[in-house]
Amino acid sequence: MMKLWSCIRKELLLLFRDLTGLLVIFLMPLALVVVVTLVQENAMRFMGETKTKVLFLDMDGDTVGLQIGEAIKKSSSLEMDGRTTGKDADMETAKRAVAKGTIQFAVIVPAGTTKAFMKRARLSVESSILTDAPKEKPRKGTAGEPSPSLLFYFDPALTETVRSNVANLLEKAIMGIEIKEKMKLFSGMLPVKMEKVAKKAMGGFWSEENKKLIPKARIEWDDAAIMTVREEVAQYGKSVKLPNAVQQNVPAWTLFGMFFIVVPLAGSLIRERQSGMLLRLLAMPVSYLTIITGKVVSYVIICMCQLVLIMAVGMFLLPLLGTPVLDIGSSPAAILIITLSAALAASGYGILLGTVARTYEQASMFGAVSVVICAALGGFMVPVHIMPKVMQSISVFSPLSWGLRAFLEVFVRGGGIGSSLPYVAPLLLFFLATTLAAWFYIYKKGWTRAN
Amino acid sequence: MNSAAPSQEMILSAQDLVKFYPGSDEPALNGLTLSIGEGEVFGLLGPNGAGKTTAISIMNTLLKSTSGNVTICGMDVAKHPGEVKRLIGYVPQDIALYPDLSARENLRFFGRIHGLKGPELKKRIDEAAAFVGLEGSLDQRLYTFSGGMKRRANLAAGLLHRPKVLFLDEPTVGIDPQSRNLILERLSSLKDRTAMVYTTHYMGEAEILCSCVAIMDSGRIIAEGAPDDLIRRTPACKNLEELFIALTGKELRD
Repeated sequence: MMKLWSCIRKELLLLFRDLTGLLVIFLMPLALVVVVTLVQENAMRFMGETKTKVLFLDMDGDTVGLQIGEAIKKSSSLEMDGRTTGKDADMETAKRAVAKGTIQFAVIVPAGTTKAFMKRARLSVESSILTDAPKEKPRKGTAGEPSPSLLFYFDPALTETVRSNVANLLEKAIMGIEIKEKMKLFSGMLPVKMEKVAKKAMGGFWSEENKKLIPKARIEWDDAAIMTVREEVAQYGKSVKLPNAVQQNVPAWTLFGMFFIVVPLAGSLIRERQSGMLLRLLAMPVSYLTIITGKVVSYVIICMCQLVLIMAVGMFLLPLLGTPVLDIGSSPAAILIITLSAALAASGYGILLGTVARTYEQASMFGAVSVVICAALGGFMVPVHIMPKVMQSISVFSPLSWGLRAFLEVFVRGGGIGSSLPYVAPLLLFFLATTLAAWFYIYKKGWTRAN
Repeated sequence: MNSAAPSQEMILSAQDLVKFYPGSDEPALNGLTLSIGEGEVFGLLGPNGAGKTTAISIMNTLLKSTSGNVTICGMDVAKHPGEVKRLIGYVPQDIALYPDLSARENLRFFGRIHGLKGPELKKRIDEAAAFVGLEGSLDQRLYTFSGGMKRRANLAAGLLHRPKVLFLDEPTVGIDPQSRNLILERLSSLKDRTAMVYTTHYMGEAEILCSCVAIMDSGRIIAEGAPDDLIRRTPACKNLEELFIALTGKELRD
C-alpha cells in the first residue's frame, strides 16, 4: 500500500509541476466550457429569447407588406432593422448587406404584392364556390395568374436550422394572411351567391324581405387560437428543468477535458520508458501493476478535480456572464459514478496509448486527434440524432458518447444511477479492455518482469 | 570460472547463462559463468554488443535467460525475483530520475519503494546525499543539476536501501573528472559492505576500481581475472586498454 501511495504521490507531484500539462488538463476544458456555453447559449436563445435583426423592406406599402411587418414585429426571435421604409435601403443594398454578413436576413415585399395577392385570393375563392356542383364546370381559379412572392435573403454562413426557422416564420405569417383574406372574401361572396341562387329558385316568389333570411358571415375573425401546442420537457420524475446550454455543455466539455488526460498519461509512460526509469523501477521491489495503478489513481483524482472545478464554473462563474445556473440534478452519486467510470475509461485509453506509441509526439498527436474524433462522433458538436445513419451507427462505439449520454441522463433528463447504468457499464468495460490490451502488449514485450 | 577467493562468501553466482532474443539465431549470451564474492567489484568489460547489458539484465531480474541460472545470496533470481530485488541495487546508464522532482523527492520515492519510511528514510536520504556530495542540493529540482550532479544523484538512488549487490551500468558516462573521481572514490569505500557488478568503457576506471574483470565478446567471457594479473599475463600489453584491444580487435562494433 505504501508503494502504491508513493507512486500516486509522485505522479501528482509531477503533474502539478508540469505547467503545460496543467494547462491541458484544467485550463483547456475550463476555457471550452465557458466559451462554448456562452456561444451556444446565444444560439439557443435564437430560438426564442435573443432577437436577431432583420432588414425589412416594404415596397408594397399595402395589406400584405403591413401584415408581414406586423408578424416580424410580433416574432420573439426577430427584430426589425431601422431601415424599414424602403428609402434608406433598396433591394441591392439589402442583398449586399446580407452577403457581407453584416446582417443575417433581409425580407423584401415587392411593390404590387398586395394587388397580386388579392387577385389570386379572389380567383381562388371564386373558383371554390360552385353553384350547381358537380355539373358546373370549375372555374379557371388562379391558374395562369402570376404568383406574388416575398423575397428573403439570408447569409450563406448561417446554419440550415437558423435559416429554416426564419423561413418557417415567414411562411406561417403568409399562411395566416392568406387564410384571413380568403375567409374575408368568402364571407363576402357567399351571401351574394346564396341570394342569387335563392332568387333563381324562387322566381316570382322572391321578395326583398327574403334577403333577411340569408345568413351573413362576420368578416372579422376571433384571433384567439382554437388549438394550441403545449410544450413539455420529457424528464424522469417531477423535475421541470428546461434544457439550456449550461446543462448540456458543462457535462459535455467536462468529459472532453477528462479524456484529454490521455495525452499527459501516455506521455508519462513513454518518458519513463525512454529515460530508463521503467527499467530501474522494474529492478526494484515494486510490481508493474502497482506502477500502473498509481498512474490510474492519480489521473482519476485529477479528473475528479476537473469535475469539481468545472461544476463550480457552471454554478458560480457562468451565471455572472449571463447564463442560467448549472443544476446538478438530484443525484450527485450518479455524477460521481459517471465521472469515475469516464476517468477510468480515459485512463485505460491513455495507458494503452502510452504503451503502444513509440514516441511522445506519436501519442500526443494520435491521442488528441482521436479524442476530438470520438467527441464529434459522440454528439459533442452536432447532436447524434441529426447525423447521417452511418455516422449514428459509428457513434455507438465512441466512449465519449457513452459518457455524454450518461451525463445527460442526470443533467438534462433528471435521471439517476439506474438510468445512467446502461452507459456507465460500457465505460467500465472499455477501461478493462484497454488495460488488458496494454497488459497483453507489455507482457509480450517482457516489461512485466517484476515480482 | 570462479573469480571469488575461496575464503570469500559467494554473493552472486551465474551458471552457464544462455540468452537468445526472439527472432535471432545468434545467442546474446553463450554460456556465461561467473561468481562474485563479498566485497568484490566485478568489472564486466566488452565492446558494444558483447552481451554485458544482457548479462546484467538477467542478473538484476529484468530479463529471463534461455537457460542457465543466477543466484544472489543463495536465492534463484528467476524463482524469487521479488526477494532478490530487495537485495540488489541498480544504477542504470541513463539518468533514471524525475527531472521535475527535487533530489530529495526522487530519493524519497525510491526509498519508499524499498519499504523505507519515517525517520529512517530521512536518515538514509541524508546519508546517501552526503555520500555523493549532494547534501547542499537536495531540495533543488533535478533539471537544474549539472551532468555530474545528476550522475551522483543517480548513484545515490541505487544506494539508499544498502543493497548487497550493486549493478552499475556505465555510471560515469559524460561527466567531468571531478565528479568521476568522487564517484570512483565513493564506490571504492563501499567495497567492504557491497559487492558490485560494474560495466564501463573506461578501462582506467576498471583498473582502479575492480578487483576482478571479465572481458566479454560475442556473449562469452574471453578473459577473466584481477586487472594486474591479466596485464602481467600478456607482456605485449602495458595496460587494460591495450589488453582489451588485443583481445577484442580494432574492428568497429556499432
